[in-house]
Parts: sequence; structure tokens; C-alpha cells
Amino acid sequence: MKLLIIEDEPSLLTAIVQYFQQEKFLCDTASTYEEGIRKIEDFQFDCIILDLNLPGGSGLQLLQYLRHNKSRDGVIIISARNSVDDRITGLDIGADDYLTKPFHLPELNARVRALIRRKYAEGASQLELGPLTIDLLARTVVYADQAIPLSKNEFDLLLFLMTNKNRVVSRQAIAEHIHDGPSEQIPSADFVYSHIKNLKKKLKEKGCNDTIQTVYGLGYKLSL
Amino acid sequence: MSKSLQQKNTRYFLIWLPLVLLIGTGLFYILMSTHAHHMAEEQLELKQENIWNAFLTNRDRPASNITGEYELVKGYPARNDLLDRQRDTTIYYPVNKEWVAFKTLTEQHLLTINAQRYQLTTYVSSREITHLIIKASIAEALVFVLLLVAIVIINRKSSGWLWKPFYATLNQLQEYDITQNRSLPLPEQTGTREFDQLNRVLTRLIGHAHLAYDNQKQFVENAAHELQTPLAVIRSKLDLLINSSTLTEETANLLADITRANDHLSQLNKNLLLLTRIDNNQFPERMQVSLSDALEKLIAYYQAFYDGNLPAIATSIEPGVRLNANSSLIEILINNLVSNAILHNLPGGWVRIRLSPQELSIENTGPSIEGDTARLFERFTKGQEQSRTTGLGLSLVKRICAIYQFDVQYHYAQGIHRVTVSFPPA
Repeated sequence: MKLLIIEDEPSLLTAIVQYFQQEKFLCDTASTYEEGIRKIEDFQFDCIILDLNLPGGSGLQLLQYLRHNKSRDGVIIISARNSVDDRITGLDIGADDYLTKPFHLPELNARVRALIRRKYAEGASQLELGPLTIDLLARTVVYADQAIPLSKNEFDLLLFLMTNKNRVVSRQAIAEHIHDGPSEQIPSADFVYSHIKNLKKKLKEKGCNDTIQTVYGLGYKLSL
Repeated sequence: MSKSLQQKNTRYFLIWLPLVLLIGTGLFYILMSTHAHHMAEEQLELKQENIWNAFLTNRDRPASNITGEYELVKGYPARNDLLDRQRDTTIYYPVNKEWVAFKTLTEQHLLTINAQRYQLTTYVSSREITHLIIKASIAEALVFVLLLVAIVIINRKSSGWLWKPFYATLNQLQEYDITQNRSLPLPEQTGTREFDQLNRVLTRLIGHAHLAYDNQKQFVENAAHELQTPLAVIRSKLDLLINSSTLTEETANLLADITRANDHLSQLNKNLLLLTRIDNNQFPERMQVSLSDALEKLIAYYQAFYDGNLPAIATSIEPGVRLNANSSLIEILINNLVSNAILHNLPGGWVRIRLSPQELSIENTGPSIEGDTARLFERFTKGQEQSRTTGLGLSLVKRICAIYQFDVQYHYAQGIHRVTVSFPPA
């Protein structure tokens, strides 16, 4: 999978690159408008992560240029601007998703993967990890041929951990991910604990032990 | 207590004018009686002269008297101390059976031809003079009262007219709210130089205040925006760091604290941005928002999110309560109120949410709030639970309520906090 990250803040850029390289993505970068244009002209990407404030031009212009010339590449806007207008404009011009800074890298990863699934793997709506299978459309989870009934939050949580498998995901990232109230109001991360507890219990009932590990007080990691 | 300009002005007039008029009346009376006295003297003198002359030209007629007019007697019978001096006396009129007051003057005359001496006493009725003085004084008092009433009425009318531009300016100022971001069009020409000046000065002052307010808003917005990128950097680095293979329990604990602090900072920044965006009127779209549905959804969400680890929530929500407002703002409003009621609660406590077409009231048990509860809606006013909240939630509520003219009230009594939001009649 090829990824282009267009972001002018170098330390954020390296962090994103590092994270996605660990996820086995091929990452290319651009930190100005012109560089971005050059890269999208020369190469094909599965997903472009696009910052809106760029030296030499705006990310929206770049997106317009991109949609005018090629239509395939998926685009996720990352922006410090969080007004509904900016979001709507971005999505209208042809972005596939919009993420407001500051974001958690596991969240960006989940968005990128969801976008790639939607765009390129039509039909295939199943995620598998060993004997654990998640059906994204039916929103069901099966472990070794046994269905595990999960609540909406538990399902979202499991999917999120599975998308970021073998990585420690912070409790704050989880809280933000499963929260679906107004985006400005993220509730306390303290209650992630009880969701995890319930999820673990349900997995354990079907014999799926120790899939989710607690990493000190920091977060959780799913691995099989 | 302060009185209105009009009242004060009238009061001054009513205190000082009658005093001046009273003194004027006294003065008038004194002058009037002095003059009358003097006039009587002149008349008496004139009578002396006329009668004596008449007597001289018509000497054959015997000296006689006319009661109340004169009395001519031969010789000098009167005492010397009564001579040449105006005196008061009374004469009895038998027909009317009454005593009448007179002024009288006695002078001595010498008939040179026969060296015969005469004494002439002339009379002027002082009753008529007294009557005149009284009548004139009454007339004067009436004129003064008329004057007083006229002055007060004219003054009230003219000052009302005179201060009209002032009251117009005052009304405009009263309705002015800097947060609404409107200019204040004060008339430059009022027809009165002082009011022109006042309006000019006010316009300039408001211009400055506007500029300062805009600068401050701009500053907060820019600062909050600028903070987003470093916050994003810290957050992403933390996401990488917690996956480091060299993580020990000690570093993990440090990282957990940093993550928590960083998230608190992000939340704070988001709320600050939100506040400035509300202040900058960046939520102009309105639609019919079903408050009932939004509340039900929110409560269901909280139940699911906190997985039952919540205070007992009792609701009484009338269905179909709709508001013409921005749906995001309404969501933020109710979310802040409900999450406050849940967060600032006690173990085993409860939350009671009531919604009617007139008002939304949210009650909850909770620790008492120290300090000034009136300041609760200000930025960064917080109770004890410092670290879990941003201190901006209620000022968001206040700003949103201000936009839609909702009246928001906070009340605390016996361990129960109550926030009531009243909607204006549609």
C-alpha cells in the first residue's frame, strides 16, 4: 500500500511516516504545495494524507487539482481547522475523510484502513486475525465458529484494536474513537476500562483468552 | 436612590422658587406699605395746604370741620409733641356705628393779617390704604403662584425636549452589546453641540473597545489554532512512544501522566476555539432542532458509554419540543449540562432531567460549591475537580444561551444543583 503524506510540520510528518512504516505501508512525503503537486503527478497512491495549511498554497487547491486530474486516490484531510464549513468544503471538493488536529495516530490508521477497504476491496468486508473474524457490514464477530454478541461500543472497540493490532493504543485514543457525541466534547477516558473489561469477558467466554493485554496504565494491545 | 434629571430639576425649582417668591412677597409688602405710608403723608400735607389756602381766600366763612376730612380750630390747644407728625387715630361714625381708622396730621398756621393763630388737623382714611395693600399683596401672590407653575411646566417641557438626544443615545447604549459584533450608529448632528460631542466621543470609545475586543478574540483564536499543531506533534509522538519496546513500568506511568495532561490540554484548546467561534458567530445556520430527541439520544449515549457507571438518571422529557437553532450548538449546550451533572456528582447520587416546551431543568446531587456561584458561568471558574474538567463548559452554555436569548439560571440548595434554561416564547 502506498501512502503520500503532505504535511509541513516536520516532526508531525516523521511521526506519521514512522507509524505507517511500522504498519508496512510505503510512505512518500511532501512538505510544500509544489512538492505535493509534483508527487501526485508522478505517482499513484492508495491514500493521500493532506494537511490544509501548506507553504505555497492551500491543501484545498491541491485537492481540487488532484480531483480534476485523477480520481482514484483516496484523500484524508488533516487540519487544525475544525469548523463545520471547512469540513463540508473539504468533503465537497472530494476528500474521503476529514480528521481534526490533534489526532491520535491509531485513529488516522483506522481511517486510512477504512478508506482503503471502502475504495479498493469492495465486497470483502471481513477482517481476520487468526480464528477471530469481524464482519464489517453485518457488524458481527465470530471466534472459532462461535458468534460473540457485542454491544455497539464493544464492537467499535474491538474493530479499532484489530485495525491497530499488535500495537499499544492509548486509552485516550480509544475514548475518542468510540465517542460519537459532538466532536468538541470528548468524555473522560476513565470509562474505557469498563468497556475493555466487558469485551475481554465476552471473548474469554468463547475461549479467546489474553487477546487484549493491558499495557501498564497506558493503553491496550490486541494480539494473537 | 438616584432620581431622573427631570425630577431633580423640578425638585430644585420647587425648593428654591417658592422661597424666592416668598421673600419677594415679603419685600413687596414692605415696599408697598412704606409707599402707602408716604402717600398718606403727602395727602395729609396736600390737604393742609389746600384747606388753609381755601380758608385764606374765604376768610369770612367761619372755621369749621368736616368729619374725616379736617378740623380747624382757633388757638394752639394741642400738645407740642403731637404737632407736625403723622399719627393714627380712630373716629366714631354714629350712622354706621363703627370706629374707622384714620391717619391724621396737625399743623399750626398763623394768619398774618390779624396775628390770629389756627390749628389745622387733616385726616386720611387708613382703612382704604390697608385694603389696598392687602389686595395688591394677594394679587401679587397669585401672580407669583402662576409664575411658579408656569416656570415648572415650561422647564419640564423644555428640558424634555433639550435632553431628547441624550436619552436617545442612552437607549442605544443600553441595547448595545459588544459581543454581538455590531457597530453603534449614533447621530453626529443632534442640534446641540454638547450632545454632538458626546456622541462623537462615545463613537470613538466604542470603536476602540471594538478593536480591542476583536483583537482579543483574534488573539485567542490564533493562539488556539497555533497550539493545535504542537499538540498534534506531542500526541503523535506519544502514540509512537507507548509502542517502544524499551517501555518499563516507570516510564509507562510517566507517559500515562503526560498523555492525560496532553489530552486535557487538547480538550481545553478545543473548547477555547469553540468559544471564539461562537463569539465570532460561526454557527449561523438554524433549523428546527428536536430538543427532546437530542436529549434522549444523549442520555442513551451516556448510558452506553459509561456502561452503567453513572448516577441514576431520571428523565421527564416531553416529546416534540423543538427549537429554531443551530443543531451543533444545541448539542453542545445539552451535552455540557448533562455531562456536568454526571461528572460533578456524588457516589450513589442522581440526575433528574426535565424538559417542557418552556424550559429544560437539570438537577443533580453534588458537592457544595465554594465561592461565588454567580461567577460559575465565567471562563475557568471551577469547583474542586480541577483536573477532569476544562472550566469552559458553563461559559459555552452561557454564550449559546445568549445567542438564542435563553435565560439560564443556576441554583444550589441542600446538596442539589439545579440549572434551568428557559426558552423564549416562540
